[in-house]
Amino acid sequence: MPHVVIVGDRESGKATFLSLLYATQVKSGSDASDAFRFHADVDSLDEISEAFEQLMSGSFPDSATKEGMRGITFHLGYRRAGRGFLSRFRSRGWDAGGSIALHFILVRNVEEEMSRFRRGSSLASADLREVLESDAVAILVDSTKLGRRPEDGTVGPMDRYDTAVESLLSSVQRSRPRGSGRPIHPIVVFSKFDSVNPKVLHEANLADAPPDVKKTGPRGAYAEALLESSLPRTIERIRARDRDASPFAKPSYFFSSVRTEAATANRGAKIRLRRTNGAGWEPDYSADEYLVLLERLWKIASDATA
Amino acid sequence: MPCALLGDRASGKTTFLGLLYAAQVKYGTGVQDDFRFHAPMGSLSLMSAVYEGMKDARFPSATLKEEITELGFIFGYLRKVVGKLPYYVRQQNWVRPFSTLRFSAYDVSGEDIEEFIETGIASRPLIQQLLKSVVVVVLVDCSKMTTEIDTPAYKKMLRYDSTVAKLLVAFQTYKRQEYDRLKDSGVKADAPRIYPAFVLSKFDTLRDDVLARLGLHRGFPENKRARKDYAEALLRVFVPQTLSQIRGGKIAGVSMDKAAYFLSWVRTEQHEGMEPVGQPRIVRTGFAPEGGGEPDFSYDEYVEFIEHFRDIAHKIPDEVLEAEKFQAQALARPA
Repeated sequence: MPHVVIVGDRESGKATFLSLLYATQVKSGSDASDAFRFHADVDSLDEISEAFEQLMSGSFPDSATKEGMRGITFHLGYRRAGRGFLSRFRSRGWDAGGSIALHFILVRNVEEEMSRFRRGSSLASADLREVLESDAVAILVDSTKLGRRPEDGTVGPMDRYDTAVESLLSSVQRSRPRGSGRPIHPIVVFSKFDSVNPKVLHEANLADAPPDVKKTGPRGAYAEALLESSLPRTIERIRARDRDASPFAKPSYFFSSVRTEAATANRGAKIRLRRTNGAGWEPDYSADEYLVLLERLWKIASDATA
Repeated sequence: MPCALLGDRASGKTTFLGLLYAAQVKYGTGVQDDFRFHAPMGSLSLMSAVYEGMKDARFPSATLKEEITELGFIFGYLRKVVGKLPYYVRQQNWVRPFSTLRFSAYDVSGEDIEEFIETGIASRPLIQQLLKSVVVVVLVDCSKMTTEIDTPAYKKMLRYDSTVAKLLVAFQTYKRQEYDRLKDSGVKADAPRIYPAFVLSKFDTLRDDVLARLGLHRGFPENKRARKDYAEALLRVFVPQTLSQIRGGKIAGVSMDKAAYFLSWVRTEQHEGMEPVGQPRIVRTGFAPEGGGEPDFSYDEYVEFIEHFRDIAHKIPDEVLEAEKFQAQALARPA
């Protein structure tokens, strides 16, 4: 089963990211077109549905839910082309053989984990072998911390994280035999992008919003311009694929945002909910980004199992 | 064939069972005589108490509800071929004239199946019995369908959605494991299938503004496809995880695609311009040749419900027999 490792700085929104991915699946998996179906493993559903409930009530996943969220398995399936026009055959497009299973592993604190790993111990909260043999690494970049590194040589807000992620990528890379046909897919997710400091974007000569999710070229350039100043080691490691034929595939970039209502004296920030087409509600989030991300994950998993 | 009923607290489970019993009594005494039912002593005395209360315009009392841990009926459907035989032949037991469906209601919560979710083992007999169900009836309480996000009803529905989705996935997992065990033991079995049925309970309490927002009218369509579209429009909004996991069953190798949808309502007394005081009272029909003094409820929907299981009851026994045969073999092996 293909594995996706999720890494992120503390409070970068790893649990929210996974919950929004689940919310996207629930919405697509229950809509009238019936073009996408998914199944969550029985031992994964407890935590993820709890987080979903919290999102749908306007709250971010609480610490107990986050703590329980370590490994989640989804099985994804898209309706096969050419079967939709004859309703009699529609359900045949969904047999278990046509679905792809994906296992997500959350690395809680990548800095601490990598420092332990460098000292010779295994990764504490995630199984080392699972991490090193993963097919994709989802790197969460907390957009509120983006910005130029301090000129006086002091440690920038993302320096340690940058080192830890670079170290993780390098370990994953080293664990693959040279010339291995199995690529590692880097997926960079800019979390909380609605809260990015506009000054950072202006300084990098970037527009306020990233290019459309389908324009992969301009979007890659936009994302890399941001990463060069905040996660230079990570982006350098990913780019190294061009030089020494390392197993990194072309990275993909996503921008995640959830609209919130500011915290007050009595309560923390709340997720703003918006009405869906029917009478229901959903978090006010970058749904298009997650839909394309879901397709990307499915493609990665299909290639890995082919 | 085992069949389970799932419902939230106060979602109308006992009322549903009481009305189902009322429908069985009426339908099972029709001149056609192609449907019969039987209830074990414990279930019968409880159900007749509920039924008597309803004939007396009362909803089931809390004390009665507490007595339900497992309550069952056996539905019997006359086999088509047998129906064509002469009357005296079809009365013989060796003909096995009726396909049966064992309908059981279990009072279990999400926590009760926690053990299976966490360990993959169902040790309690009640949970084993529940997980063996081939038909799963899910009650969705329409009185909790609200678009006001800060209300307790909205939050209860969110919680219920998670619980039912987890239960359904537990059913799928159990069925898949059983199927794999059968296959590994060389027993040829068809791919596992669960027949879900959704009952939209207390449909008369569904608010007009909810229907208007969804572009639905109050009447439930008769056409099967239209019924599905109508019900799914509601489920998509109020129990989306459940709906997505029903569809996702196929991905997990356990088809749940043959879902059916039914309405349940019972008319209650309305006092013009006055707020009802105390427990609402059930409106009863007048006396007529085909019976009377009955609760005024969605009888046709209950007949549809009973009839829905006719085909399933005819089809399923072979699979169940295979499973039973396998279990007998497994028991015999250590000896």
